[in-house]
Amino acid sequence: MSAALEIQDLGKRYGRKPVLEGVNFSVGPGEVYALAGPNGSGKTTLIRLATGLAFPTSGAVRMLGEDLHSGGYAVKRMLGAVVEAPAAFYPHMTGRQNLDMQAFLTGLEDASARIREVLARLELLAVADQKVGTYSLGQRQRLGLASAILHEPQVLILDEPTSGLDPQGIQKVHEILSELARQGAAVLLSTHHLREVSAYAHKVGILGGGRLLEEVVLQAENERYRLRVSDPEKAASVLKTVSDISSVLARDGLVFFEGRPEAALATLVREGFRVYGLEADYFDLHDYYRERVKNA
Amino acid sequence: MLRILVWEFGKLIRLRSVQVGLLASLLLPVLWVIAPGLRNQFHLNLISAWQVPALSLRTGMDFLFPFLVAMAAAEVLGSEVSLGTLKSVLLRPSPRSRLLLAKLLVALLYPFLLLATSLAGSLLVGIPYGLGNFYGGTGLNQPDAIQAFVGMGLMTSQAALLEVVKAHLLAGLVLAPIAALSLLYGTIFLATTTAALAAISSLLLMRLLVAFPSVQPFLLTTYLGLYVEPSSLFMGLSLLFIYTAGFSGLAMLVFDRKDV
Repeated sequence: MSAALEIQDLGKRYGRKPVLEGVNFSVGPGEVYALAGPNGSGKTTLIRLATGLAFPTSGAVRMLGEDLHSGGYAVKRMLGAVVEAPAAFYPHMTGRQNLDMQAFLTGLEDASARIREVLARLELLAVADQKVGTYSLGQRQRLGLASAILHEPQVLILDEPTSGLDPQGIQKVHEILSELARQGAAVLLSTHHLREVSAYAHKVGILGGGRLLEEVVLQAENERYRLRVSDPEKAASVLKTVSDISSVLARDGLVFFEGRPEAALATLVREGFRVYGLEADYFDLHDYYRERVKNA
Repeated sequence: MLRILVWEFGKLIRLRSVQVGLLASLLLPVLWVIAPGLRNQFHLNLISAWQVPALSLRTGMDFLFPFLVAMAAAEVLGSEVSLGTLKSVLLRPSPRSRLLLAKLLVALLYPFLLLATSLAGSLLVGIPYGLGNFYGGTGLNQPDAIQAFVGMGLMTSQAALLEVVKAHLLAGLVLAPIAALSLLYGTIFLATTTAALAAISSLLLMRLLVAFPSVQPFLLTTYLGLYVEPSSLFMGLSLLFIYTAGFSGLAMLVFDRKDV
């Protein structure tokens, strides 16, 4: 699967101060990539670079193979983005008029039907003809998402898309994002709501001090298990040779693996290991993130 | 492009500095007409409505109009930065140069709008003095204000109208490079106040450069009085065009690679 969005060795300096250094990752079509990190870790700078609002000091951002910063404005046809929280609109214009102008700037012809569709999807039809200045924070945020998906982009980049939303609004946004990913869009979002995004994000990039500290794969193809077994190191070595088992790791006296648990058990028993327990390994992203950032 | 221009013009009219500027340029002629100090300065007893525009223009062009133009041109971009809408517009697959060109054209149009309002306000408050033929001058046909108001005999209302409109058009051209300079600073600083202050400071500094006579003919500030100096029209207009084009081109270059 070729990447829809590639961040290649991306770096940004302001004067001598590096804000972002050597960041590499990619987001494939249908994939949701969440960026997490404490304030000042470089998330917003990364989002600005990835949307073409800022220019990198080193490295490149590629969308479907095209360089975003040197490939001309046409590359942005693939991009939908919200980079402000709450999303910014002209307050003297109605929600519909704002979207109409955005559609015009995107080159969408006869966009009224599509505007109605996205307004309905974000439950904004009732306020569509009111001036944006009268909108609540949540309504503006949802209008931002409506604007980002207006032209059905292949790459969606969102900075804190659920900021300022009530729990129902957050749920709605998460539903829409996972649905868009299912339809093939590559989604990159920055967030502090790790528990919520872990339900549908495929990967989480943890940023700290302007570097990508770690990339955590959340939705592995196989379910993950942990084993309590005699001689974990040796058991892990044995499991690595089994074809139905992958991502084997011995840590803290346990053996972690992905794949068919029956195959793992049969192999270990056949090889004479004592198996004391086998259970699914549920990953708590929030705890992991806290630990990772604390130790960074 | 036309739709973007109309859109930008709509945004310009909503800017606070533009609304304040237009209101000031409409109402200030009232002051010029009733202020005894100002009339003493020009040794003038108003005898015609055609003389009021000169009072507004001569006093306004000293500082007020350049300041209002610098503020508005800076706010054309700065307001979008503070609202956050610049980012959402730049996310769209539209060239940055097209967006800035629309802003630039609107900023260059603003001086003419400001001066048209001033002219309308001046003629309106001058109506009690009459809009017919009169003996004297409009105050706009030569640099010396006192002589310009004395005139050379009978001035027909048609000739007065032509002289007043020509002076206001020239004044608009004089203010154009100031708008372009302010927008250039806007692209550099992305902040209204800083950009406007930088533009005004640059003008004040240029005025101080009169201490260097060799550079004086090439300074923008040398031609701020062009609207009453027909003798240096060609040189003045050429330089004003070069300044406007230069500042505009630089603004385009800066904005094209500017981090937002």
